[in-house]
Amino acid sequence: MSRKFLFTLLIVTLFLAACGPSLTATPAPSATQPPATEQPAAIPQPTAAPIVLTDGLERTVTLTGPAQRVVSLAASNTEILFAVGAGAQVVGRDEASNYPEAASSIPTVGGWSGFSSESIVALQPDLVLAGGINPPELVASLEQLGITVYLLPNPVTLEEMYTNLQTVGTLTGHEAEAAALAESLKARVAVVGLKIAALTERPTVFYEFDATDPAKPYTYGPGTFGDLLIQRAGGTNIGAQLQGQWVQISLEQLVVANPDMILLGDSAYGETPEKVATRPGWEVLAAVKDGKIYPFNDDLVSRPGPRLVDGLEALAKLLHPELFK
Amino acid sequence: MTMLRIENLFVSYGPRRVLHDVSLEVNSGEVTALIGPNGAGKSTLVRAVSGVIPLLGGTICTNGDDLAALPPMRRARYLAVVPQAVSLPPAFTAWETVLMGRTPYLNFLGQTSASDEDVVRRALERVEALELAERRVGELSGGEQQRVLLARALAQSTPILLLDEPTAHLDLQHQVSLMEMVRQLAHRDGLAVLIAIHDLNLAARYADRVVLLVAGEIKAAGTPRQVLTPDLISAAYHLPVTVVPHPFVDAPLVLPGK
Amino acid sequence: MRRLPYFWTLLFLTLAILLSIAIGSVFIPPADLWRILTGWLSTAPLPESLQTFAFIIASIRLPRTVLILLTGAALGGSGAAYQGLFRNPLADPYLIGVASGAGLGAAAAMSIQWPYTFWGLLVVPLAGFLVAMLTVLLVYSLARVGKTVPTTNLILAGVAFSAFATSLTSFLMLRSTGELRRAFAFLLGGFTQAGWNPVLTILPFLAIGLGFLILSGHALNLLQFGDEQAQQLGLPVTRTKTLILVAASLATAAAVSFSGIIGFIGLIVPHVMRLWWGADYRRLLPLSIIGGAGALLLADVLARVVIAPQELPVGIVTALVGAPFFLWVLRRAKNQGYW
Repeated sequence: MSRKFLFTLLIVTLFLAACGPSLTATPAPSATQPPATEQPAAIPQPTAAPIVLTDGLERTVTLTGPAQRVVSLAASNTEILFAVGAGAQVVGRDEASNYPEAASSIPTVGGWSGFSSESIVALQPDLVLAGGINPPELVASLEQLGITVYLLPNPVTLEEMYTNLQTVGTLTGHEAEAAALAESLKARVAVVGLKIAALTERPTVFYEFDATDPAKPYTYGPGTFGDLLIQRAGGTNIGAQLQGQWVQISLEQLVVANPDMILLGDSAYGETPEKVATRPGWEVLAAVKDGKIYPFNDDLVSRPGPRLVDGLEALAKLLHPELFK
Repeated sequence: MTMLRIENLFVSYGPRRVLHDVSLEVNSGEVTALIGPNGAGKSTLVRAVSGVIPLLGGTICTNGDDLAALPPMRRARYLAVVPQAVSLPPAFTAWETVLMGRTPYLNFLGQTSASDEDVVRRALERVEALELAERRVGELSGGEQQRVLLARALAQSTPILLLDEPTAHLDLQHQVSLMEMVRQLAHRDGLAVLIAIHDLNLAARYADRVVLLVAGEIKAAGTPRQVLTPDLISAAYHLPVTVVPHPFVDAPLVLPGK
Repeated sequence: MRRLPYFWTLLFLTLAILLSIAIGSVFIPPADLWRILTGWLSTAPLPESLQTFAFIIASIRLPRTVLILLTGAALGGSGAAYQGLFRNPLADPYLIGVASGAGLGAAAAMSIQWPYTFWGLLVVPLAGFLVAMLTVLLVYSLARVGKTVPTTNLILAGVAFSAFATSLTSFLMLRSTGELRRAFAFLLGGFTQAGWNPVLTILPFLAIGLGFLILSGHALNLLQFGDEQAQQLGLPVTRTKTLILVAASLATAAAVSFSGIIGFIGLIVPHVMRLWWGADYRRLLPLSIIGGAGALLLADVLARVVIAPQELPVGIVTALVGAPFFLWVLRRAKNQGYW
């Protein structure tokens, strides 16, 4: 029996080698190539000394030089990379990284349902930029495979976001650009701050980012950028009184709070001001009666990158249109 | 020779007393029938003796050895039980089922040898079920299944055989053939047989000794003629009965009514 | 096909192993695969162009294949053991609470931020394992009546406990919405950790658990006749049932702690093996172990490939594929009285 068994095994293996399995995965475009011998065109700052940093998991990360082949595991990281001028150095991204446009043509290595270590390895990255959204097990797995991983911690304040920009700039050899970007962002934030400083009236805002249950929609509570930016844009977030960061508010509480304005962060999922107006029980809200319901691009307040400042400006425009033309 | 000596057995289900100070003896080469109304404790007694019900008090001995103190494996070499043939695993063949009876002599893995297979074959022959050997138990009739269980008990090669109402669900011809086999096992092969049975006339005809159990207590023990009297039976079953001599065999015949 | 069960099942497993090594989100041409495999057998170093593929196979696919193999073996084997122990065709390894306990332990561990160290990374699987075993212990103690452990009690206590643990888990998950996705991924099942650590960690538990189960075939056969008859035939029933329960739970808890909750393998594989090759547990157990390993490997290949480079949670694949497959097998063997 063992002879028959070995013989069959041999036949099967030869068969596989000769004809190939009929189940093949659709490969990520550049992942089918064996290791590239030429480097993609990059604009690194020549730095002789190795780069040593401590990441969000308290790990010491060492790079011999600025990273030339970066895989980003979070949409916010991708935005930061492009913003500091390292877009050409990004060789892999996660599925949700859709900004800027140029990012869409970069091969994907995974997303909400997990990441493929194989795809990452095949891209031969010299740096994987993870975010707070990625579990530590993933970092450990990649580390085990000999890949350099840097976990960019989730910022809570704008200052921490600027620091992340600097970090990414250092990692990719774009320190100057990162510093310049941070400065310009700070300036824009300062402008907004100045204009609203003299305000006496701060409209109340209800920001909705999930209304699967219209009687208990989700909003941003304290500790989120949504909350922070609404305040900095001269508004009052009614979610600030709730407990927790991503919290539900009941329709009753909403009616009592009676916000001046409703922002639909879930407009990307098909919520429109017209639909909101038809929700049972919502017609009593002032914002509904006055038609002050506006769609909003949630990425601008949820992705912890430079676009947060875009978000701040967009909020300020909605809240105080007379001040921000 | 007294093979099984049961003394002062007490068994309870929680607060409910089921067996009270039960003592009886079972001799080799004899069929001892345990009779009594439903709920009297016949099944309980058989199960208690086989060790699956804990005893509140009393001893069960064979040849001086205390059976209750033995681990199941050793105990199973002394007594084998033929339960009622209900909800047996249908996928095993008759052969495989009877082979289970060899367990007390096998290791944990259940590895059998040629001699075990001989025992199984002889057991199946003894109950005239050898032709059923490769059939699945689920496909057999009630009577055939009961015979397979008897063969299994025989495969255990024990000096004592306990049967728990084996004729309960059987057709008449199967009842008779089973009882014939049981009597032969005692008279010809010398086993000590204790059989709990509800049919009084089968007991009368095939048993050498009869024990009457009512509400957990032994009311009478002796030959069939001694125990199957109108007074004892009427009192036990709350029904007037008439006892007449059996027309063909040397045994009493119990008839309901006066 | 009726004969040579071991031959066919081992062949199935071998094919599954080969597929698992050959297929992944990165396409490796079969010719290259062949060259790599034969290259390893010789002493010559592999050419540059094959280095990346060789690395992927050796460091990612091979450890993962072994982990899946072990997990599937544990699920198949303990599924067969549970079905034998409870004499119930609906029994699976999670009947008395291993899955719900593991889920609870993992979710609880995930709601705390642990330091990124060797032990810190081990907390989640460890918590899953410990709470799983604790659940079994509690269910067992609840079900015990004097010196016996009636199977009905075990099932009832197991169901009650599972409901309790599951609702507690849901509550924990809702409270720490940041970790929701991570906890959910665990509950759906999947193989996220790379490297040989998970394999080495669960191997001793599986060796002990499955090793004992393979030896318990005869005891399980006896238990099919019911506790009373098994005892009358000479089996020390309570002790044996306890040991089998512990062995099966040990193997399942260890497997589940790294792979999350993967259903259907433990339920379906023993049934299929029983349908084709009979209900003798001395054979059914080893066959279920091998079959479970192969089945899970195939399910994982599908999970890797369907939405590559993302992965579907394996538990979804086993449910979606396993259930219809089982119905098909069942129809083919309608009146066979195979149980």
